[in-house]
Amino acid sequence: MYVNPADGIPRMAKRAFKKAALIDVLNRLKERYRLYAPVRQNDMTNYQELASGDQADFSASNTRLSPKSFMHPQSLCMFAFGTDKGSDQAGILREVEKDLPRSVVFGIRPCDSKAFQLVDVNFNTPEYQDPWWIRRRQSTTLVGMACNSPCSTCFCTSVGSGPFSPDGLDVLLTDLGDDVVAEVMTAWGSEVLDHADIRGRATDAMTEKATALQQEAERSLGSLLPTESLREKNLNALFNAPFWDDVQFACINCGVCTFVCPTCWCFDVQDEVRNQQGVRVRNWDACMYPLFTHHGSGHNPRHQKLQRVRQRFMHKLKYFVDKYDRGVACVGCGRCVQQCPVNIDIRQLFRLMNDFKG
Amino acid sequence: MGIEPGRLHFSWISSAEASKFVEVARAVSDEVRKTGPSSKLIKKLPEVA
Amino acid sequence: MEAYTEKIREAAQRLLKENKVDLVMGFQRGTIPMMSQPVLIRKANEGERLHWDSHCGSNLANYLPKRKERIAVVAKGCDSRNIVVQILENQIRREQLYIIGVPCLGMIDRRQVLGALQGREPLSVSETNAHLVIQGKGFEEKLERSLFLQDNCAICIHRNPVLFDELVAEPVPEQTEVDRYEDVKGIEKMTADERWQYFRELLGPCIRCYACRNACPMCYCPTCFVDESTPQWLGKSIDPTDTTTFHFLRAYHLAGRCTDCGNCQRVCPVGINMRQLNKKLEKEIKERYGYETGRSIEQRPPLDTYRPDDAQQFFK
Repeated sequence: MYVNPADGIPRMAKRAFKKAALIDVLNRLKERYRLYAPVRQNDMTNYQELASGDQADFSASNTRLSPKSFMHPQSLCMFAFGTDKGSDQAGILREVEKDLPRSVVFGIRPCDSKAFQLVDVNFNTPEYQDPWWIRRRQSTTLVGMACNSPCSTCFCTSVGSGPFSPDGLDVLLTDLGDDVVAEVMTAWGSEVLDHADIRGRATDAMTEKATALQQEAERSLGSLLPTESLREKNLNALFNAPFWDDVQFACINCGVCTFVCPTCWCFDVQDEVRNQQGVRVRNWDACMYPLFTHHGSGHNPRHQKLQRVRQRFMHKLKYFVDKYDRGVACVGCGRCVQQCPVNIDIRQLFRLMNDFKG
Repeated sequence: MGIEPGRLHFSWISSAEASKFVEVARAVSDEVRKTGPSSKLIKKLPEVA
Repeated sequence: MEAYTEKIREAAQRLLKENKVDLVMGFQRGTIPMMSQPVLIRKANEGERLHWDSHCGSNLANYLPKRKERIAVVAKGCDSRNIVVQILENQIRREQLYIIGVPCLGMIDRRQVLGALQGREPLSVSETNAHLVIQGKGFEEKLERSLFLQDNCAICIHRNPVLFDELVAEPVPEQTEVDRYEDVKGIEKMTADERWQYFRELLGPCIRCYACRNACPMCYCPTCFVDESTPQWLGKSIDPTDTTTFHFLRAYHLAGRCTDCGNCQRVCPVGINMRQLNKKLEKEIKERYGYETGRSIEQRPPLDTYRPDDAQQFFK
């Protein structure tokens, strides 16, 4: 165990295995855990439960949809109840039991792992602990894959993460070409590597190569987006800034940004009842939709598109910064930049908001 | 869409055509009964996580 | 393409300077390759922001319903047909609009290009009349433009605007040898069970983000049926029955109103080809009522009018 002088995080010794053995590693893990890895589906890659190790495909810089549904499923039955007035069980909500065996998400990128830590501040607080989020967090081991070639829409280094950042990971893998270095971050990570029979030690040459790859990856991300002034900006001044009118025009309030974003957590709770059985379901929701803030009274404080577009960026780049003092609610994965159908680019918002004089 | 033909029927019936209504109602009921219980587009409780 | 850009800028600047319109809706260059961003300008000196290329696939008619200003809007063939229907449906008045018509040779399907690059990231994309030149780290590819058009553009038979106040170029020849319904006919031949399976797989990846609905210029209901709650029409979860219902019910609401602008498919984050549902209905409307959406402001959509000779073979 040593403390990495670069970031002060205690690290366990680095192990290594041959890249050619990766499929075997995955197959061994599959025997013991529920194993998820990126799988190619036509022109995109998404996480799937592996039926066999050879399905995994780590060639994409990241998956189309974020892995947030592992911890925060898009639609989740929370409670079940009966409505038969004749029964003494009527209306009593019973938690629906979930089958959550130990699972491994293999190949998760550092940005997505950091995103889980940011969303923890919402679902796991001293006052409120969301059992559905927490149980999934506790039963999932994250085996991360460092990014040797970040793409041009990635900006993790601007927001407190990085292509080789170990934040939140149980293991950090680095692909050196012929070898894969596996840096153990936690006891869970150590256990997973043991079960995958990865016990060889990384050589000094391997460590050096990994460091060189890290430096090259960080360099390729180019200059950082400006974030240093977001905290000190006057909230009301930013709120009333004139640039929102221009930014909001193109937006079609479609919600794609929210759904692909690893740090967006908003949800809607609904009861669905059929005959005399019902379930209480939690579904992803988005502040982009007018209905999101529609009150029972009929009043809607964000009935205009400008108000909703402004809300998104104010939340991520200002309110979250002020409230939690851990930077922006964005990990620079770039999915919203790639997927927004009208090319609203959050990187432009960083500049507009950080450099705003008012 | 793959829902069996014979489940969906259209008819114009004026309120003055009572006997036609009876005829069509019987015909549709018989046809649907013959087609059997539906398996498509039937939702019980949401099939989700 | 540069000629188009010049003409659009010139028109926008002229219209704003002469106070013929309050605002101009067009496109500006995107921040990533093969994208452009819809933009609204109000001052003549902002005209320089306007730009045109083969990545201007968004349908600007989407931004028109219920606006009150005098608006100049850049419109391709499909966009102009949507505007016709919006006028007929009282969402915008003809007098408010100055339509800058763009005869269109088809828009590029960004996802198809990315697929062809097989994971290599494009850093810059330029185009000639017949080719796309794509440059990235350590590679350059030249692709034939006609092979990478959006699906709807490849089979488009109304590329020239039908309603306009000026055109930025000479009309382009219309494609005539296209079978718009080739894939629909393939599905029609399937058995009911095969079709059910086919649509289950097609709609399986849907994440109910409603981007398709929001991108559609004809989906402008103040409260969409999916958001109704008293009563609730369908569930909001990703239950497959609810998802299937959403898609085909939306397609039904567009029967006779959809112009196959392709926006729905373009915006889908998981690449679902939901246009197949719309095209089936387009085929039905064409065969039963002899109608093609939005070709003329004199013709009302068939499902909002009644004619005594309307086809009704499906009625008992």
